[in-house]
Amino acid sequence: MSTHSPHPDQSSGTPAPRDAWKVVARREIDVQVRSKSFRIGLLVTVIGIVATIVGVHWFQNRDTTQTVAVVEPAAAAVVKAADQLAGDDTLTIRSKDVADTAAAERAVKDGDADAALLATDDGYELVGERDVDATVRQSVTAAVRATALQDNAAAQDVDLSALDAGTVTSERLLDPAAENAGLRQATSFVFVLLFFLTALGLGMGIAGSVTQEKESRVVEILAAAVPIRQLLWGKVVGNTVLAVVQIVAYAAAGVVGLLVTDQAGALDVVGPPMLWYVLFFLVGFVALASLWSVAGSLASRTQDLQSTTMPAQMLLLVPYFLAVLGGEGIKTVVSMIPVVSSMMMPARLVEGSVPAWQVAVALGGTLLAAVLLVRVGARVFERTLLRTGDKIGYREALSLAE
Amino acid sequence: MITVEKLSRRYGDVTVVDDVSFEVRPGRTTGFVGANGAGKTTTMRMIMGVLGASSGEVRWNGEPITADVRRSFGYMPEERGLYPRMNLVDQLVYFARLHGLDARDARSRVDELLEHFDLADRGGDLLDTLSLGNQQRVQIAASLVHRPSALVLDEPFSGLDPLAVDSMVDLLQQEAADLPLLFSSHQLDLVERLCDDLVILSGGRVVAAGPVDELRDSGAVRYRVVMDGTDAAWLRDLRGVRTLDVDGDEALVELDGLKPAELTRAAFERGPVVEVARVHQPLSDIFRESVR
Repeated sequence: MSTHSPHPDQSSGTPAPRDAWKVVARREIDVQVRSKSFRIGLLVTVIGIVATIVGVHWFQNRDTTQTVAVVEPAAAAVVKAADQLAGDDTLTIRSKDVADTAAAERAVKDGDADAALLATDDGYELVGERDVDATVRQSVTAAVRATALQDNAAAQDVDLSALDAGTVTSERLLDPAAENAGLRQATSFVFVLLFFLTALGLGMGIAGSVTQEKESRVVEILAAAVPIRQLLWGKVVGNTVLAVVQIVAYAAAGVVGLLVTDQAGALDVVGPPMLWYVLFFLVGFVALASLWSVAGSLASRTQDLQSTTMPAQMLLLVPYFLAVLGGEGIKTVVSMIPVVSSMMMPARLVEGSVPAWQVAVALGGTLLAAVLLVRVGARVFERTLLRTGDKIGYREALSLAE
Repeated sequence: MITVEKLSRRYGDVTVVDDVSFEVRPGRTTGFVGANGAGKTTTMRMIMGVLGASSGEVRWNGEPITADVRRSFGYMPEERGLYPRMNLVDQLVYFARLHGLDARDARSRVDELLEHFDLADRGGDLLDTLSLGNQQRVQIAASLVHRPSALVLDEPFSGLDPLAVDSMVDLLQQEAADLPLLFSSHQLDLVERLCDDLVILSGGRVVAAGPVDELRDSGAVRYRVVMDGTDAAWLRDLRGVRTLDVDGDEALVELDGLKPAELTRAAFERGPVVEVARVHQPLSDIFRESVR
């Protein structure tokens, strides 16, 4: 038979009930980590990130060979010159000797050659089936021209190098960031997309778990066991840990993808923004987590979630669309508005340099909003969690919290 | 001891619980009876603190009850509340941990309870794979998992077959014999069998409260007389006796001045007697009379 203490807090070796949020947080994590959809989703996304980076890298850097059918040795020499002119390590242009024009055309038609270079009265003719690779066209054209010029200069006894003097144009970029514009833009897009998906997925998860507890009435037992506030904190902490772990896993997958494709240099570009990204995600998620919990407690049934989660969904959807579609001015403004800035600012940081004060405004504002939302959220949560029957509106909920 | 003092709950103009007072004493089982909508659940939720009272208060051992004390109570809500897709051990350990038990203590307590409840081999099963009767046992286990200081059980026996009720009663007696135990029910035979004290609620008000024996004996004492082949109608003419019912050689009477021994002698003088027995008023009669 058990012994009974009138003061539960004094029973042997038990932590004070103010630690209950840890128990709640651990359960939130356990349930997700054990759920197949969470594990598969995480795995698929991580593999997807690595595969995308590796795939894009391979596609951009695969070695290709373009074969040009030639009849005369002079044409073969032009093709050789074109290969050197192309100056592309991954593209090789080589010639293939054939007997005559007909054979050259047949080779192109049968796919044995990508193009044919045939001599005409006033130069050469480049023959393709449907089109000719742009690089091949450019290099061959240039090579034909260079070869002809050289021959003509020799015939006229002209010094070609003297003729060529002062025609060199070199290139220098003032904004080195633009150098990796493609990489930066792609990273910014992936940042925003993963932020949106992760925050929305886990956010709906929080709201759903609260409503399910209301629906299954287990909430009555929970409320009798621990202060309701601790339930909220537990949910916020547990799901924030899960969310940050996911984002860190994605970032790590990105780093792994870059390393296995030998693009460590890209880390100089996307590495620091990645750290900002994780930081902003953490703060932004905490700010939204209490809103998701409140959305769950306002609903009486799972069907109500559609409407009660609308404000939180909007706070993710609007910056998402603005990040994808908006112009620079809009992005600059939105990236400093609390909460929504947490998605936008890291995207801007990876796209180019951002003044430090703007980053500070974004981070400070969101931190402040997080504190405020968690506090107000806790009050609303306390007053709505045990109310069943009808869905509760935000206005009514706020008036209850006063 | 839980003392409910002048507890009321109003929703707008509607008063659901109206000035309710009673006691739940340690080591005694208190039955909370009333028709649907009488205010039983509302009162229990106010005792547990999951619903605020409009007025009145709940006391624990004479002191105003605190949140900590409430948390030490075991509670079974009217609508069952457990996680349907969580296994029994995890679920019960979770509740134990919320109540402040450390991990090891929680686990051993859960194992002990599952053993007692004959559910030891189902510990890894999800709750919703269990029969309703077994789910109900888990629900009781959840209310006991933190070694509560009192139990508040809302309709703990509804939906259970008589054998399941018996085993549940055994479990409660084993686990909570010395606790104040309040349970609501509309199964009067059960309440009569289990309860030491009774609180009858009607329209949000307490219409009768006290030890079952006292409530039962509060009415006039009744006797049943069974003759062997003699018509019992003669009792109608006996002085000091009110005859309530005569059916052939059987009669139900209320003594109105006559002593029990005199009734017995009168019966023997009349003819062969099968029995003269005192009749306890069934609880259902007390209930009907109280709520009338």
